[in-house]
Amino acid sequence: MTTPLRGAVLIQDTPRRLPWGRWWIQSAALTYVALLLLIPLAVIFADGLKDGLVALWQSVSMPIAWAALRLSLWTSALMAAINAVMGTMTAYVLVRYRFPGKSLLNGIVDLPLAIPTLVTGVMLVVLYGPQALVGGWLEDQLGWRIIFARPGIVLALLFINFPFVVRAVQPVLQGLNRESEEAAATLGAGPFTIFRRVTLPALWLPIASGALLSFARAIGEFGAIVIVSGNIPLRTQTAAIYVLGEVESANRQGASAMSMVMLSLAFLLVLFVDWLRRRAPKERLA
Amino acid sequence: MKIAVVRSLTAVLALTLLAACSGRASTPAAGEEEASAQLILGAYTTPREAYGELITAFAAQWKAQHGQDVTFEESYLGSGAQSRAIVEGFEADVAALSLDGDIRKIADAGLITHDWHIPPYNGMVSTSIVAFAVRKGNPKNIQDWADLTQPDLQILTPDPKTSGGAQWNILALYGAALRGKVEGVPADDEAAATGFLKAVLKNVTAFDKSARDSITNFETGNGDVAITYENEVLVGQQAGQDYELVIPASTILIENPVALVDVYADEHGSRAAAEAFVEFLFTKEAQAIFARHGLRPLDAEVSAAVQYPAVADLFTIDEQFGGWAQAAPAYFGDAGIYTQAMIEVQSQ
Repeated sequence: MTTPLRGAVLIQDTPRRLPWGRWWIQSAALTYVALLLLIPLAVIFADGLKDGLVALWQSVSMPIAWAALRLSLWTSALMAAINAVMGTMTAYVLVRYRFPGKSLLNGIVDLPLAIPTLVTGVMLVVLYGPQALVGGWLEDQLGWRIIFARPGIVLALLFINFPFVVRAVQPVLQGLNRESEEAAATLGAGPFTIFRRVTLPALWLPIASGALLSFARAIGEFGAIVIVSGNIPLRTQTAAIYVLGEVESANRQGASAMSMVMLSLAFLLVLFVDWLRRRAPKERLA
Repeated sequence: MKIAVVRSLTAVLALTLLAACSGRASTPAAGEEEASAQLILGAYTTPREAYGELITAFAAQWKAQHGQDVTFEESYLGSGAQSRAIVEGFEADVAALSLDGDIRKIADAGLITHDWHIPPYNGMVSTSIVAFAVRKGNPKNIQDWADLTQPDLQILTPDPKTSGGAQWNILALYGAALRGKVEGVPADDEAAATGFLKAVLKNVTAFDKSARDSITNFETGNGDVAITYENEVLVGQQAGQDYELVIPASTILIENPVALVDVYADEHGSRAAAEAFVEFLFTKEAQAIFARHGLRPLDAEVSAAVQYPAVADLFTIDEQFGGWAQAAPAYFGDAGIYTQAMIEVQSQ
């Protein structure tokens, strides 16, 4: 199992000295990855496909399951789209502007990754719940229900996945050569045109990869969603919470089938992001 | 292998089941003369406070009789979840669950080998009823099942997929409707009862994972009414919550079973202590502890002393639905009455 991978490593720039040391490190790393990632992932695939693709499709296409999957996909997609725009804007502000509290803000960006997502859910209910001050006002005045409804799901996903696009765009923006922007300015382009025609084309890759990774992560989000969604089948029950229900009510097959679909989607997205990165011209990143 | 599959599934998807899966007995096999015994209790969520006190009382009694300390590892999950955890390898010596069917799953997995429907109460150790928690002063004037269909009411009830309490709630509602005890719903009319179920489901704003999660959500300030165990409301009030208990005119008697898990108890060499603990739960002392924590005791004398409010029309799972073995698939299976009603309500 390790041989083809070893071959791939050999092609890369490895030093000729210390072959034994290299061999040990490589074996250790690959064994670790196999034990930690590959074997559990393979087990899920095997379990999901145990009864064949037809059974898998039947489980996933049942009304409650299908609605849960669709809900997970569109809320995640909406989150990724908003995240792409607002994350890029945040990164731009953090890199190009100076203002008081900038380093503090820069630190806060990563906070959503450090907070348990369950806590995020509780926090959102306290703030936007129908009985809470803000949530009650929104519902009474505007008729907007946030918690125990779909907006709450999107809100939770936005919070949790905020850092992805910002942190993907920031380093690229920092390394970007500003000469072309200045040249465009001397040629009479306004700031918006400069951003759209000069800066943005260099940023599409980090924006896309940040947004796609956040999308992949959001499909499986559980901790926050279970608190804010209300778990109403066909309306606010997402795929991950559906899986919990099936596991708990001893429907292994239904749980595995849905897990398998979620896992495959995430896997394809990650592969796609990797492919995007590799085919991108290197000078853009420099 | 099966255990490994489910474990990794849950782990990868971050469905953390908290302490449940991690608990494992450290000391198998032992002689009678050991200085301490350990028991693992796998229970459902609502009698947590009662078991806290029961364990202390039992440990004192065991120490007096055998001169040995007994320590407990306790796990509390939704009844269905706990049942599954035990089947998948959470090695509980004693299982105390919400409903008969969840103990049956453990027995079906071959882990309980004796007939656990033991006297004096056919394997049941405590009872309760399905009731409502409403806000202080009952602002929505909820007195009975029929009041749950009023427009814009917000109802909390847990998810029957994960919670035994949720299944009791649905069957209490449906049984009351079938018995002609819900205003506007004729007796023995399944279509009308299903229509009523749908009207109530339309008002549910959250299906939490367990009865405890549901009442906690209610305590956070969400919902106008929570359909729940009577004892859950009483325990909340004891803890200083100001919500009120409303008992509908017709409701189901919740019967909670307890059973020794033979395979695990023998593996741990803890059968003697486990058997003694189960026996202890039926004593007047233990029954009085259940009563103090809001559960309706089965012991007639203890029961007479605590005087829980009477229910005008109290029915059991056996007499109304032919027992859990029939009711579970008929109502909560993929083609079950509840499942189908839910699909119809939510796809409108």
